[in-house]
Amino acid sequence: MIGLGHYLLLSGILFSIGIVGVTTSRSVLKILLSLELLLAASNLSFVAFSRFNGDYTGQLIVFFVILVAAAEVAIGLAIVVLMYRHFSTIQADELKDLKW
Amino acid sequence: MSSFFFYLFATILILASLAVVLARNPLYNVLSLIIVIFSLSSLFILLEASFVGVILLLVYGGAVLVFFLFVVMCLNLNSQTFTTTQQSRFRLLGWFIGLMFLSEFSLAIKSFLETPTIQSASIRGTIEIIGKILFTDYLLPFELTSLLLLIAVFGIVSLAQGALKTDGEGT
Amino acid sequence: MVNPLLAWIAFFSPLAACVVITLFSLRSKTYSAFLAIAGILTSFVCSVLLFLQIFHVDPPIELQQSLTWIHIDSLTINFGVLVNPLAIMMLLIVTGVGSAIFIYSMGYMDEDQSSPRFFAYLSLFAFSMIGIVLSNNFIQLFIFWELVGLSSYLLIGFWYEKPSAADAGVKAFVVNRVADFGFLCGILLLWSISDVGNGRSFLFTDLAGVVTHLDPHLLTVVALLIFCGVIGKSAQVPLHVWLADAMEGPTPVSALIHAATMVAAGIYLLARTFFIFEPLSTALTVIAYIGGITALLAATLAVVENDIKRILAYSTLSQLGLMVMALGLSGPMQGMYHLTTHAFFKALLFLGAGSVIYALHHEQNIWNMQGLLKQMPITGVTFLIGTLTLSGIFPLSGFWSKDEILALASKHNSLLYWVATLTSGLTAFYMGRLFWVAFWGKAPTSGHSHQAHESPLVMTIPLIFLAVLSVTGGFLGIPHFLYPHAEHPAINISVALISSVVAILGLAVSYMIYGKRPTRDPLETKLGFLYPVLKNKYYFDVVYGWYVDHVQQSVAKIFFWIEEIVLVRFGVHGMTGLAKAAGQVLRRLQSGLVQFYALVFVLGVVYLFFIMVTKL
Repeated sequence: MIGLGHYLLLSGILFSIGIVGVTTSRSVLKILLSLELLLAASNLSFVAFSRFNGDYTGQLIVFFVILVAAAEVAIGLAIVVLMYRHFSTIQADELKDLKW
Repeated sequence: MSSFFFYLFATILILASLAVVLARNPLYNVLSLIIVIFSLSSLFILLEASFVGVILLLVYGGAVLVFFLFVVMCLNLNSQTFTTTQQSRFRLLGWFIGLMFLSEFSLAIKSFLETPTIQSASIRGTIEIIGKILFTDYLLPFELTSLLLLIAVFGIVSLAQGALKTDGEGT
Repeated sequence: MVNPLLAWIAFFSPLAACVVITLFSLRSKTYSAFLAIAGILTSFVCSVLLFLQIFHVDPPIELQQSLTWIHIDSLTINFGVLVNPLAIMMLLIVTGVGSAIFIYSMGYMDEDQSSPRFFAYLSLFAFSMIGIVLSNNFIQLFIFWELVGLSSYLLIGFWYEKPSAADAGVKAFVVNRVADFGFLCGILLLWSISDVGNGRSFLFTDLAGVVTHLDPHLLTVVALLIFCGVIGKSAQVPLHVWLADAMEGPTPVSALIHAATMVAAGIYLLARTFFIFEPLSTALTVIAYIGGITALLAATLAVVENDIKRILAYSTLSQLGLMVMALGLSGPMQGMYHLTTHAFFKALLFLGAGSVIYALHHEQNIWNMQGLLKQMPITGVTFLIGTLTLSGIFPLSGFWSKDEILALASKHNSLLYWVATLTSGLTAFYMGRLFWVAFWGKAPTSGHSHQAHESPLVMTIPLIFLAVLSVTGGFLGIPHFLYPHAEHPAINISVALISSVVAILGLAVSYMIYGKRPTRDPLETKLGFLYPVLKNKYYFDVVYGWYVDHVQQSVAKIFFWIEEIVLVRFGVHGMTGLAKAAGQVLRRLQSGLVQFYALVFVLGVVYLFFIMVTKL
């Protein structure tokens, strides 16, 4: 039987991979993609809890998270484009202007 | 039967997400994410949350990832752009943290893994039911998110405007 | 019945005068003078009323009224007044002689532009002195003791543009500081060993009851420490060095503070707290000998002085020595009696000297004065009365009070008796010297003394007032008023005869040497090698100067080093260096790289998660 634990473990694995992606990627685009992975992981755990606790709240939260994630990605990509125009590169290392 | 599908989709999910992180070509990154979305959506449907599953596909697969593809193609990114390693200098530390997190997480959900839980049969996340709750209990967040999307549009338009202006002056 | 409100009014009225002058009338000389005189006269009237209330009341009234000022656990400090015949006598002296001097100052300081400040300081002094007189506990006494020292400093250095005056003020204050340290130690030691039933107390009344139960050795230490304060304030050897230099202040200051009242505060303290000293024979002996040594030493120094005020200053030192000696011989009554008469005639002498100085436009060397008796009759006659009183000529007041002390000494300690008698002879000699040189003979035909004329009424009336007191003081029955239950032996004829003979001898010898008014002091040659020793005041100042320059400055240098190197360089700069280094290290966190920030963020989350998981 597939229990809640399986889904949660899956969600955890996904989240860890997302963290690895965020911290080890050099290109800003890949960071954004990994960010999406993080969100997906939490969505999965919400739906799993919803299913196993008999409460629709989890699914509704997922609904809103998807919406907000969409908005966030849109703006994020706009910034990436601007960054490319300004620095001619999308390596995260290049954004060093606020260095001490 | 459902456990077979679960394991199938779970494996695809994990492999695809690894591909998102590890692949070199940015195009492969994005396409891998699409696969992630697909498998995730399947898992949602397995969990009787058909509405959010389809919404996920529509919004992510239909809009967000297409947007990503646009950007990738717009910036003309391919694997030749990255002659140096694609990993940042915090590579080892990042992997280590990820593994740490995973182990802690497993510890945290130990109780869930040991005792089997039963899926509640009453949950059926159909569009009808979700819609009803959405427009009664969660009406306010619903309206507010529409406002949020409007503000996001404003943001992007003003960012683009600025870019257009500098572009115009430059040439 | 005694009304304690009178005491409080007498206490605070000079303070009110001082405050009003400082706030409102620092520009106006006449207003300030009138305010100050009003303040002290109010106190005087209250003192007289109090005197009338307790006069001839038997048993003698002792009234105390105080409020608890500080109360922390077992520490209680009061603020109050203790009124008994002794206090009222002293109050009458302070306010009475004080009023005379305040009025006199109006004339003396009329040419000085900063006289409002003078009157403010004088009022402050009056307040502090009355505080010492009326205080009912050691801590309050000490506070006013210090305040009096402060007023003295301010008044000695009143003409602060003159470096010698400023230095003299500092010297007075520093020497008193040294003495007051011992005083404070004594007070605190006494408090710590006192146990008056409901805890420890500073109150005189409480301590008087409990003193008999305390360990006499500790009590001797306490007594000697308290006497340290007296050594400083009343200028006994070895802390006498400040009084002569204190003559830099204006003459009314010298009269009031350094003759009649402040220096007498030490004697008053001893009399007020005599219950501590009474059973301690060792302490009393020490006190008596110090008094005797001071008396003789000062008298020898007065013989070679040429500044009229310095002669009087050493004379004061000498008489104070006699008073201390009297107290050391268990004679508080005799000591206080002499204090009273001394206040009268010493103030008289100083004011007379001031009159002379004023008339001669601040000339103070007696060798530049001649025949003043003819030029300034009132001043001259009153000065003569003062001289005779000080020398102890029958039947003036000085005779009676000094005689009591001599009689006491003859009964207890013949060495000190002869020291006192010798001192009296020297006193008569140098006062005679002063009088013959400055006042006697024909007026000169030219120079300052030729132009001198009598001082205005505002200055001569106080002189007359004090002269009358000096003459009649012996008949006022002061000892009976102060200590009605003590034994009052009849006059000792042999002592009286010897003292009168010695006094007349002194005056005669001085006439022999100085009556013909030589142009220079013949003692310079006659005394030979002694003369420079006396002129240098037995080299006390030299020794102290050496000590300060070498010993004290070395110690000060060590502390300076500790502060500069250890505290400042290591401490302060070290701290800043440490902060800077920490900053240099920590600024690396601001790498500007978003990924790094995200990493740290996640690191934090992982850590928190770790804590939560392992705790669970």
